[in-house]
Amino acid sequence: MADASQGSAPKPSSSVKLVLLGEAAVGKSSLVMRFVNNDFQENKEPTIGAAFLTQKCPLPTRTIKFEIWDTAGQERFASLAPMYYRNASAALVVYDITKPSSLTKAQHWVAELQRQASPGIVIALVGNKLDLATPSTSPEGADEAAEDENDDDEADARKVPTKTAKAYADEDGLLFFETSAKTGENVAEVFTAIANAIPETQLKGTRGSAAARAQEESRVNLSAGRDTMGAKEGCAC
Amino acid sequence: MQAESLNDTDWDIVIAGTGLYQSLLALALSRSDKKVLHLDKNSYYGEAEAAFSLQEAEEWVKEQNNSSASIENLSPSEEDGPKLSFPRAYSLALAPQLIYTSSKLIECLVTSKAFRQLEFQAMGSWWLYSASKDSEPDSSGTPAEASGNLVRIPTNREDVAFSDSTIDLRSKRSVMKVLRFIMDYDNQEELWEGYKERPFAEFLTNHFKLPPTLVDLFLALTFSPTCSSQTTTAFALPRISRHLRSIGRLGPGFSSVIPKWGGLAEVSQVGCRAGAVGGAVYMLGSGISKTESIDDSTTLHLTSGDIVRTKHLVANPVSLSSNSSQPSQNSSEGTSRSISIVGSSLPALFPQLTEGAPIPAGAVVIRPAGSFPSETSDPAPVQLIIHSSETGECPKNQCIIYASTPASAPAGPSLLDAAVNALLACIDNPPVLWRMHYPFVPARIPSDAGDGVHLFPAGMSADLVFDDTILDRVETIWRALVGDTNAAFLVFEDREGQAEDEEDEYL
Repeated sequence: MADASQGSAPKPSSSVKLVLLGEAAVGKSSLVMRFVNNDFQENKEPTIGAAFLTQKCPLPTRTIKFEIWDTAGQERFASLAPMYYRNASAALVVYDITKPSSLTKAQHWVAELQRQASPGIVIALVGNKLDLATPSTSPEGADEAAEDENDDDEADARKVPTKTAKAYADEDGLLFFETSAKTGENVAEVFTAIANAIPETQLKGTRGSAAARAQEESRVNLSAGRDTMGAKEGCAC
Repeated sequence: MQAESLNDTDWDIVIAGTGLYQSLLALALSRSDKKVLHLDKNSYYGEAEAAFSLQEAEEWVKEQNNSSASIENLSPSEEDGPKLSFPRAYSLALAPQLIYTSSKLIECLVTSKAFRQLEFQAMGSWWLYSASKDSEPDSSGTPAEASGNLVRIPTNREDVAFSDSTIDLRSKRSVMKVLRFIMDYDNQEELWEGYKERPFAEFLTNHFKLPPTLVDLFLALTFSPTCSSQTTTAFALPRISRHLRSIGRLGPGFSSVIPKWGGLAEVSQVGCRAGAVGGAVYMLGSGISKTESIDDSTTLHLTSGDIVRTKHLVANPVSLSSNSSQPSQNSSEGTSRSISIVGSSLPALFPQLTEGAPIPAGAVVIRPAGSFPSETSDPAPVQLIIHSSETGECPKNQCIIYASTPASAPAGPSLLDAAVNALLACIDNPPVLWRMHYPFVPARIPSDAGDGVHLFPAGMSADLVFDDTILDRVETIWRALVGDTNAAFLVFEDREGQAEDEEDEYL
């Protein structure tokens, strides 16, 4: 669903570090799996082994290459390191719409981002597990989810009203979406909205950007002559 | 979906403390199937190698009970002068070190693929501070020095050829001769064997007829944390040789590198993240209040209230103690360190090394022992490592001076201040905005702790150069834990999605 558009003249491409935050088991990794692989696994184990995924997001005038960092479980005991937040241009703060405490936790993570991350970071608040809600309470584009409604729970499992979370997001200047990693609803939209919200000036790795080149000039390539990394640095044209 | 609780898990390994040793171990274990719980009683990563914002530095100083750690905020009150920025704009390294490009650490970070999350930068010029001999102590008794100067230490033919007038033509020839000899010292043992345990200065003077000013240049390159009189030839030659042989290995001109954003603290965090990605559970702010060994397992009472069982415990003497500060120590044992934030980028210290060299992010200034006329019985050298804002440790137009001396308090801290001030006096005298003093206790090798408990030293040695034996210790404990004597240490494939050479693949 978010496949890179192929063909046509190459557009400028920039790398963007995006970090995931949110309480355990709200579906952080599932959202990314849906976005990157268009895949969903029920009852997924807590994240192991997936640290870092990349996915391109084509926009009309440029391509954003997301480097998506997962918490690797370090959020569980509030043990994320400063290096996790460093240079992140975007953050996905996820909560579970069936679990009000996870929104409280999300607010905590937003505060943590405001404390630790770069001042211009784009933050999207995402209420996940929209497939567990009946469509009536979710005014925005929940029709498709309704058609898929084959869950065994008849009752609406939603505990966080859309407008509560939306009001909070508006107040703090966050992008806001409700998604279902399970059905894929709204997932690509979140990433596209983030890509669009990142100011051109913030983009590092933009080919030809003077700021990006200056940054690279002090960098030492540790694997010089060891693998093909060298070629990559050399062809930044 | 929630991971099982800490208490119900039979942990294979509990690691206490996130200093460099334990973090490298976490990295080494990150592809094993061991169940690992990694704790730190501090709320930050890195233990003695941590990097701090100003606020974290203040909290840390408060925790160092009965030690001579202190902070001074010297930000000037004038409206338009340089100002201290917000606390998080700084990332100050408690244990800054240079990593020679020939270090095994570089190799390990590459083969383990951990380097992909790190940024390394080049150290630039090395300078020798020489005091003018006629300066007198001022009325307050602190040595006054208006007229010291900096000499750039030459390390190759070009440096020597283009060096300023401090080296005359005849001396240039001698300097080249010494440089050539040191590059090949291990093949010419007959030349220096007789001087092995004698001062290196004596060898240079007697054998190469070097004048004292040039002897100082070579002594500086040893980057020895001790006095020149204690710097033996056997100690000096491998160190200078390492410096010279490291030049050009990872790019033109530089011999050592530093990790961006706070030095070894960054390596610790990357090691721990690799551990987490491999499934280890991380818990900061949780120490061990009690350990009980029963049969072949150890029960740990954590300060969080949890009680966990593990087959192995890996720690260091500090991470095992419930006290939050460094081990109580005889202060005369410690060396003195300071961190100064300077309100200038000090461009004069960071000239481009050579054509095509990366922008240097650091510089070294060595101030030999005895530079102060007023120094008495026990002269001590001062080593200064200056990091520019390129390191991400401070905002633009500022830089950080990390100062170190083997002299302990009370002489040490004032010696450091004098050295920093004298250096700044050589380069337009920019203001020091903030300064922290702390005693640095070189870690000792702990004695064996017994079955199932493995101990690392609690931090680094006094040396400001990364010590490769750290990796040997990590490897020894790693082998004991995984029980495999043949497996390659810290050699991993990239994890899925992590390799950067997929750059041009379309997904």
